[in-house]
Amino acid sequence: MRRETQNILLVLVGGALLKISFTGTYLLYVKPAHQYWLIAGGVIMVALAAVSIGRDLVSAREPAPAAVQLNFGADSDGAAPTAKPAAHDDHDDHGDDDCEHHHSAKSAWLLLLPVLAIFLVAPPALGADSVMRGDNRAAATRSSGTDGSTTFPPIPQGDVVSLAMSDFAARAAWDSGKSLDNRTVRLTGFVVTQDGATYLARLSIACCAADAFPVKVKLDGPGTAGLANDTWLEVTGQFQPGTATKETDYVPSLTVASMVQIPQPENPYEA
Amino acid sequence: MSKEPADKADPVEDVSPAQEGATAQSESSVAVAERAEPKASPEEPKRRITSLEVLCGLLVVALIGQQWLASWLDVPAIQTGSTIFVAVCVQALPFLVLGVMISGAIAAFVPARVLEKMLPKKQAFAVPVAGMAGVALPTCECAAVPVARRLMQQGVPTSVALAFLLAAPAVNPIVLVATSVAFPNSPGMVAARLAGSLATAIIMGWLWARFGKAEWIIERALRRLPEQDGRSRWRMFFETSRADLVDAGGFLVIGGFTAAVLNVAIPREWINTLGEQIILGVIVMAVLAVLLALCSEADAFVAASIAGMPLLPKLVFLVVGPAIDVKLFALQAGTFGKSFAMRFAPATFIVAVACAVISGVIFLGGVG
Repeated sequence: MRRETQNILLVLVGGALLKISFTGTYLLYVKPAHQYWLIAGGVIMVALAAVSIGRDLVSAREPAPAAVQLNFGADSDGAAPTAKPAAHDDHDDHGDDDCEHHHSAKSAWLLLLPVLAIFLVAPPALGADSVMRGDNRAAATRSSGTDGSTTFPPIPQGDVVSLAMSDFAARAAWDSGKSLDNRTVRLTGFVVTQDGATYLARLSIACCAADAFPVKVKLDGPGTAGLANDTWLEVTGQFQPGTATKETDYVPSLTVASMVQIPQPENPYEA
Repeated sequence: MSKEPADKADPVEDVSPAQEGATAQSESSVAVAERAEPKASPEEPKRRITSLEVLCGLLVVALIGQQWLASWLDVPAIQTGSTIFVAVCVQALPFLVLGVMISGAIAAFVPARVLEKMLPKKQAFAVPVAGMAGVALPTCECAAVPVARRLMQQGVPTSVALAFLLAAPAVNPIVLVATSVAFPNSPGMVAARLAGSLATAIIMGWLWARFGKAEWIIERALRRLPEQDGRSRWRMFFETSRADLVDAGGFLVIGGFTAAVLNVAIPREWINTLGEQIILGVIVMAVLAVLLALCSEADAFVAASIAGMPLLPKLVFLVVGPAIDVKLFALQAGTFGKSFAMRFAPATFIVAVACAVISGVIFLGGVG
């Protein structure tokens, strides 16, 4: 692959990283703390390409013997091996005949894949499909960090308490202090219909979407049937004690008091 | 002083149809692109298509076909896969950039004799020192590959560089803190992980010193770079960083792609049902660590959250993952050559599993 092409690829990849980190789309793929890494990485990629392009332009302007051109890797501007060092602007064809075939440079073409994926396809946040591949106990254990019951800190006072889905599921399954009983909670998640039941679900990520784990809460109440998968909802309701057991795969049930359809939150995942 | 020659135009033409397929992210297209590599280019001296034109063509085709592409991807499983693919790439690229910067800095500013002075003369001692040095350098596994290669180029014995390669991503402070957060009720886990990973790195280093053959590594990876001075150091820094990034980036993409496909293809229930038997659990978790190719900072959380699995298989997962996985294999094959990766990867896998089990028995008090 020519140097020019490599440089353009680097600009594209770096640009893709910068684009997602400034538009906020990066939250669909990695956790918020990665933003600075992405910006730094993107800037450095673009800078490396820019330095290289600048060097090539400068060395193309200075008339130099053909041998030197080869050494500095400016072979791609078509002058080096042929006997016409003056033709610097002759950018195609007969340039690189006698250069050794560089095996691994071929792989650089693959850098185009993430670029096209980000700019043209823009894959959506993980949703119902990945929940159906997962298993609920996982997330409940993750956030509690234990394999058995424990006493959780009390939840804040108030009529309606907003809780993270993973916190709710963990308390439902493992809290020996029963902090959820007789409390009205507000949960945010998306709809997953599975085996005739309707669930509210949220994915929890530790680093990037590849390690996402689902948390599910079964919705119980009128109007919960017939909701489309991946519809985002804000649900208030009460925990049904004793529903998050081994038999239900630790999926708690919620008696729904009200539901509001909302747009997908900026960060679709929970930490 | 770049040794990055421009490609011949013909093989580029060979790849381009496969590449168009690859934009559609089908699994086979990666294989096709790779198979197309060794094809000899038939001579066609007059009219050649340059890679630049191919790139422009690809971009135009992709733009025109965007609608078609998007509708084709509108299948839940493929969407999930493409999100994971982008996530793995996006997460790993900044770390790869960090790695190539370190690698470029070593090439340009650290003369070979300084490294020689820092390391013990005897390889047997230098290997553990390199392993411990990995503790201090918080890089992810993608960053460690170009750094290890650069160390070899600067005259550091291969065995020592490999020990560093295996230790750096597994035992650095960030990873250990993440592990302790993920396993708050089993403090032995951090010690067990540290010991298991360090042992893997050191044993692999010693094994290479005893049995390794230099010719397994492609010559290009070890070519000694000339000493630089003054302004040319900076040129060297930029050139090597850039070349490494272009080289390794492509392989990272292969790894991310493989991980995404496997992530979608492997049903999670398998893991949960297989976890009940300890030996089966160890094997399953070791294989899973290779296939999922998680970042070493995140794998502790994933391991902690796998239900019904005793601690020992989880430890195996944590020790094997940073040492060898599909993403690393692709990077190693690209950097050091296939014949190196085909030998080094299976050996690492076996050594890592053994070290993890022994370390688990010592630090976790049995298999519980």
